[in-house]
This record gives sequence, C-alpha cells and structure tokens, in this order.
Amino acid sequence: MDDLYWHLVDFLQAFAAGLLVGGTYGLMCVGLGIIFGVMRVVNFAHGDFMMLGMYAAFYLVTGFGVLAFLGPYAGPIAGAVLAGPIVFAIGWLLHKFLISRVTGARVVAAEAEGHYAQIILTLGIALVLANGGLILFGSTPLSVQTPLSRESWEIGPVFLNQARAVGFIMAVICALGLYLFLTRTNLGKALRAAADNPTAAAYVGIDVDRAHRLAFGLGVGITGVAGGLFAMSQSFQPYIGFDFVIVMYAGVVLGGMGSILGAFWGGLTIGLVQQMSTLILPYQLQNTAIFVVFLVIVFFRPQGMFGRVWERT
Amino acid sequence: MLKIRSLEVAYGGLHALNGVSLEVERGEFVAVVGPNGAGKTTLFKTISGIVTPLAGAITYMERDLLAVAPAERAQLGIAHVPEGRQVFASMTVMENLEMGAYTRKGQQRWSETLPMILALFPILAERRAQLAGTLSGGEQQMLAIGRGLASAPELLMLDEPSMGLAPAIVDAIFERIHHIHRNGLTILLVEQRVAEALETCDRGYVLETGRVAMEGTHKTLMADERVRRAYLGM
Repeated sequence: MDDLYWHLVDFLQAFAAGLLVGGTYGLMCVGLGIIFGVMRVVNFAHGDFMMLGMYAAFYLVTGFGVLAFLGPYAGPIAGAVLAGPIVFAIGWLLHKFLISRVTGARVVAAEAEGHYAQIILTLGIALVLANGGLILFGSTPLSVQTPLSRESWEIGPVFLNQARAVGFIMAVICALGLYLFLTRTNLGKALRAAADNPTAAAYVGIDVDRAHRLAFGLGVGITGVAGGLFAMSQSFQPYIGFDFVIVMYAGVVLGGMGSILGAFWGGLTIGLVQQMSTLILPYQLQNTAIFVVFLVIVFFRPQGMFGRVWERT
Repeated sequence: MLKIRSLEVAYGGLHALNGVSLEVERGEFVAVVGPNGAGKTTLFKTISGIVTPLAGAITYMERDLLAVAPAERAQLGIAHVPEGRQVFASMTVMENLEMGAYTRKGQQRWSETLPMILALFPILAERRAQLAGTLSGGEQQMLAIGRGLASAPELLMLDEPSMGLAPAIVDAIFERIHHIHRNGLTILLVEQRVAEALETCDRGYVLETGRVAMEGTHKTLMADERVRRAYLGM
C-alpha cells in the first residue's frame, strides 16, 4: 500500500515537472510554428534565437544589471519578457537583409530551388549565431540567478519549482496573447491570410513580404521570451540552441504543421513525455522517449494532433 | 479608367501575351474571352502585379500602374477575384470578408458594404462562422466575389467565375454579377464560357494565343460569323 502511494507521488511529481517544462517548450514551438505556418520556411536557426533570448535576459538582469532595481523576483521575469523585443528586432533585421532574399512571393514560383537556399541560409545563420555567441559571451555556462529556482510550492506531496512554475504561467500568458492577436486583431488575421494563401492575400492588399517579416520577428521574439524564462531554471552556453531545435521541430510536427495553437500542445506533450519517461527509463534516454512517442503519433495521425488534412494542398 | 497598351509578358522565354491592348471605361462591363491558354489569367495577374511585363504600359485612372507596388494596387480600388476562387480556406466566411476589407477604403465603408454583400449572397450570412474551406464550390465563388466587393472597389476583376460549377449555379452567379454591374460598378471579366460572357457584357475582346484577335461591342461580337462558329457553336 505504502509502495503504491509513493509510485503515485512519483508519477504526479513527474507529471507536474513535465507540465511546467512543457509550457515553456510549447511557447518555443509556437514561435517556430508561426514562422513555418506563415512563411513555409524551415528555420534551423530557431534554437539559436532562443539562445539569444537567454543571453539578452542574462545581460539585462545580471550582466549589466539594467533591471536590478526590480529586485531578485520581478527582475528575471521582466528580463525574459524584454528579451522578446530585442530578439524580435534581430529577427526583423535578419529577415529584411538576408532571409527575404530567399523567401516570399517571388520565390514561391521557384519551388524546390527556393527551399534549398532557405535551408542553407538558416543553417548558416545558426552557425554564425552559435559561434558568434561563443566569441561574444564565452563558453562558461551561465544562468539567470533568481531565488525562485531554489524555492518550491508544495501541493500535497508534489513539489513545484517556483522558477519553472512562474515560467509556465508566463508562457501560457504569452501563448494566449499571441492567440488573441492572431484571431481578434486585423493585423493578426492578415498574418493568417498571408499564411493561408499568399497570392489571394496580395490581391486584397496585404503586403506579403511585410507579413513575413512580422511573422519572423514575432516567431523568434516569442522563442526569445521562452528562452529567457527557461534561463531562470537552466544553465546555458552558446551551443544550447542545437539541443533544442530538434525537440522544437518534434513539437511543431506533433501539433500539426501550420497549426499555431497545435504547436503549443505539441511542445507541452514533448515536455510531459520527456519528464515522465524518467519514471521507467534511464535519464539518458529522455530524448529517445520523445521520438518514440513522436513516431507513434505521426504514424496514426500524419497530419499531427491538430493539423487539418484539407488545409494542405 | 483602365488602359493597357501593347502588353508583353513571357514565362521563361515563352510569350504568354504578345502586345495586348485593352481599355475599360468607368461603368462599363468588359469581357475578355478566349480558349484555355490564350493568356487571360496572365493578363489579370499582370494588372494585379503578380506578374511583371517585359514591355507595355498600364494606366489606371491616369496613373502608371506598373510603378505601383502589388499590395498597393488594391488600395487604388482594384479588386481581383482570382481564378479557382482562392478563398482563405482555414479562416471563417466572416474573416474572409474582413480580409477583403483590408484596404483603407474597405475599412471606412465596412458598415455599408457588409450588409450589401450579405444581401447579395444571403448564403454567406447563414455560413458566416463556417470555415471557408468547407463551403461548396458555388458558395466559395460567392465568397470570393463578396471578398472582392468588401474592399469597396472602383474596378472589379473576375477571373473565370464559372470554373468547375454546375450550370444552374453559373447562371445564378452571372445574374448576381449583372446585378452588381447595374448598381454602377465597373467590371472586367475573363471567361472561357464565351456565350454567357458575351451575353452580359457591354464590350468584349477575344484573346487567342496572347493576341487580341477581335474586339467590339456585345452586339458586333455576337453577330460576328467567326465568333459564332468558333465559340458559340452556331
């Protein structure tokens, strides 16, 4: 009886940990999902934009101490949120000067050739960001110090790390905000229209290249916020993006390519599987478990959990 | 209102348009007819800016249209209802209409245009919350026309509104287009269904392999021996 109780506690503990980390994954996946959904571009550099978000949050809070006046609790949270606009601006500029040359309305006609250029370019950006990060920030693992990461809320026998719990809440708020932006505002609807049918969008007067720039900036910016939130409970170095980009892709595909809300659930699922796999599998097999579940779901639902078959032509 | 002079368009060396000239006056209903591959859709894409011509000029309300960015052309009052409808499939009927009203003028006139569109196509009011991708072909065509009207345009360009639709629905759609024209809107129509198109228009152009083979008023074209034999099956 006692044994069963502790198994149940372990299960609940892993579930809670998965939910909390999954919320942040979900936000990262939403960022990647909006870029893929609107631009149909596979952004290999996405993990590195998350890394930029982590460093942006770190320097705002700890390095230069711009946000030190907010104190140890609010400071890191504000840092994560402010990392968003910084990464947004970097993404906006990169799109304007580099990515727009291989994407957008003019490239659609070139079909496959356009995609090769996109893959090479985003891979190149990934390498430049990761190695540039190494030069600028150094290789010492850092983290955003907050007393939250050492404290827990207790719900019965289950412990919730406060840094992760706050990260989860912020991630849900950001994802919800983005959802409302896309479904309630004219600009958000125009983004969805440009994603749905770029030609028809141009006919109604939507500047598709500008919509792409906004989507790219938003996508990396949101992932930057997720990175900043994650940095409160995880140490990082300039190469961390590579570990995450594969997991983010799994989440986006799982949710259904092109479904922005689905990407959040996809990321959440990844977090749950990753944490709960430790109940039955060795710690090193976490990512293996993710891809086993990924393959099973994609086998039964190739369009992902929330993808619609007729949307793809 | 719209003047096209010696327009030439080529895709990878292949000439799609070979010196096409065409005119539309304010309030007119002009039809461009001709067989598949004559260059009709290319003509529309060039007017909308999706395709860039090699040579030629397009003036719209005394402005050089080729100097205007594609997304800005809708702001000038040109509404393009594309071939194959191209509704925003993953968005609701209402959102499709809202996107039609994306232009400044569309925003300003929304409170007048929306009831007008819903009166014209009552089925859209019934289906307002439905995703456009789940509508029937005829309903999607009505939505595409409604989306075009939502911008409160000066010129409505319709590309093959009859495509893939049952004859009864084609008749209904043409009747609605006629109604829109009677209410004062200038219409430029491209059609493969020559009989229906020539019957409703004021003036027509016959496009063959990228050239204007014939032009004239609705009466002269309908009476023309070649048109009757080649297109009307008489």
